[in-house]
Amino acid sequence: MPHYLKIELLRMFRNKRYVIFVVVFPVVFYLLYSNLWGSEVDQATGVKASVILMVSMAAYGALAASIMSSAVPWAQERQSGWLRQLQITPLPGWAIITTKLIASMVLVLPSLLLVGLAAVLTQHVSLPVGEWFGLIGALWIGVIPFVALGLTIGSLLPPDTAQPVAMIGMFGLALLGGLWFPVDIMPSAMKSIAHVLPSYDYASIGWNIVAGDAPETSAVLGIAGWAVALGALAVLAYRRATVRA
Amino acid sequence: MNAIAFTGVTKKYGDVVAVDGLTLDIPIGSTVALLGPNGAGKSTSINMLLGLLRPTSGDIKVFGNGPDQAVTRGDIGAMLQEGSLIPELTVRESVDFIRRLYPDPLPLDEVLRMADLTDLAGRRADKLSGGQTQRVRFALAIAGGPKLLLLDEPTAAMDVESRRSFWDNMRAYAAQGRTIVFATHYLEEADENSDRVVVIARGQVVADGTAAEIKSGVAGHAVSFRLGSQSAAGLDALSGVSAVEIQADRVTLRTGDPDATVEALYRKTTLDVRDLQIHGADLEDAFLALTKES
Ligand SMILES: Nc1ncnc2c1ncn2[C@@H]1O[C@H](COP(=O)(O)OP(=O)(O)OP(=O)(O)O)[C@@H](O)[C@H]1O
Ligand SMILES: [Mg+2]
Repeated sequence: MPHYLKIELLRMFRNKRYVIFVVVFPVVFYLLYSNLWGSEVDQATGVKASVILMVSMAAYGALAASIMSSAVPWAQERQSGWLRQLQITPLPGWAIITTKLIASMVLVLPSLLLVGLAAVLTQHVSLPVGEWFGLIGALWIGVIPFVALGLTIGSLLPPDTAQPVAMIGMFGLALLGGLWFPVDIMPSAMKSIAHVLPSYDYASIGWNIVAGDAPETSAVLGIAGWAVALGALAVLAYRRATVRA
Repeated sequence: MNAIAFTGVTKKYGDVVAVDGLTLDIPIGSTVALLGPNGAGKSTSINMLLGLLRPTSGDIKVFGNGPDQAVTRGDIGAMLQEGSLIPELTVRESVDFIRRLYPDPLPLDEVLRMADLTDLAGRRADKLSGGQTQRVRFALAIAGGPKLLLLDEPTAAMDVESRRSFWDNMRAYAAQGRTIVFATHYLEEADENSDRVVVIARGQVVADGTAAEIKSGVAGHAVSFRLGSQSAAGLDALSGVSAVEIQADRVTLRTGDPDATVEALYRKTTLDVRDLQIHGADLEDAFLALTKES
């Protein structure tokens, strides 16, 4: 299993789509946005935009990483026959989905850390050590529902549909969840959609932490609920995809 | 003990009966060819042996256990009819990964050598040709050192040269006392590389024996030579001949027994036989003949 994990990580780091969308995009957008608005200050919390943007772009990067590293590669493996290649080895079935979950979670770390590093180096963002750990830890554990979503998509759809669905899901969640534009400036209909999305709960836990507040219970429960629901769905979809008839 | 035992195995896909009451024992250490045309049920049978498909009825044992157990124990390695590799991984990385999943694998360098991949070990899978990919898939099949090796049309996409060395490699693997079952469309391939040929048609065994036994039961051989302006009269009466075909100045005699036909050609006719050629039975003929009987 550790070797399987290593192989999964290796192949994603060699995958251009992953590196561009996940590692390069969030950092580039952070640099761009923080140059434009970095010094503005949020009225309600007194937090600088460079810090809020850091959370938003890190959240976007993690969201993108978790979906991109799960949905399409998994759909491709099913279609190309690689899954069957694994199924005829002694590797147990549960090890495949577990390894994919762990690999996706590891693949989230580069975007989290690089956006944070860009913020420190270019905008001189500084947070108490506890807040750094809390922020990165929360944004890391919080990707579980998105990995589950990616694996569900990969289990249910062939690669050529999984690709656009994963993209739409990723940008939809990012946009409507307020990672690109603040939810406060959205029309009220969109605002109410945003509030039920896991991506909004996810990012708002981060925003709360950098404001020095405890995460809201509703957000934590929201993420946990989505994790359970999408996790169960992912397991069911995985069973369906690997059933032997 | 048998490596493989099918007992009354039937597999239906809706209305399609892919495998129809198959009963077949394959002893440990033998190399068996499953010969049959498209849609005969070869792949379905192999996939059932691997537990990828479940029989609709009947029973399958691999070394005395169910297929799932055999797979979990690392007793089986297989090259499925279709399948590609992970594009971003090198040959060595893929082979080593699969190898390590087995309890008692072959050494990595030996696997690479046995599949003629030593020179390609560092190449990424998306930079391999079709025939090279097949070789990697063969390497994945043997990497775990399985006691039973299943090959579903393994030489598809290989050129003549690669085919030859592929079969040499397979025989080297078989020589270590292992059991091998391979599916093919070609009687010649079956003939040269197996010690037993099981002909399958419409999901049933229609012939089972050595390649020589199968071929001798089939009027699928041909003897041809340049006839020129000589008369073809009487050729259809020669021993073994079932049909006479004339094309331009060549005549082709279809026969079940080429030895007897050639002998009769020289002894019983006064023809000037030029440019004589003897063709082995091909699958088409063998298959037509075999299915006519059933
Ligand atoms: N998933 C499926 N659904 C419906 N019918 C199927 C399916 N797979 C195979 N069949 C049918 O079952 C029969 C046997 O197919 P199988 O693939 O076992 O043949 P084969 O001997 O391997 O042929 P080939 O030489 O073309 O590979 C065929 O009639 C085929 O159309
Ligand atoms: Mg087949």
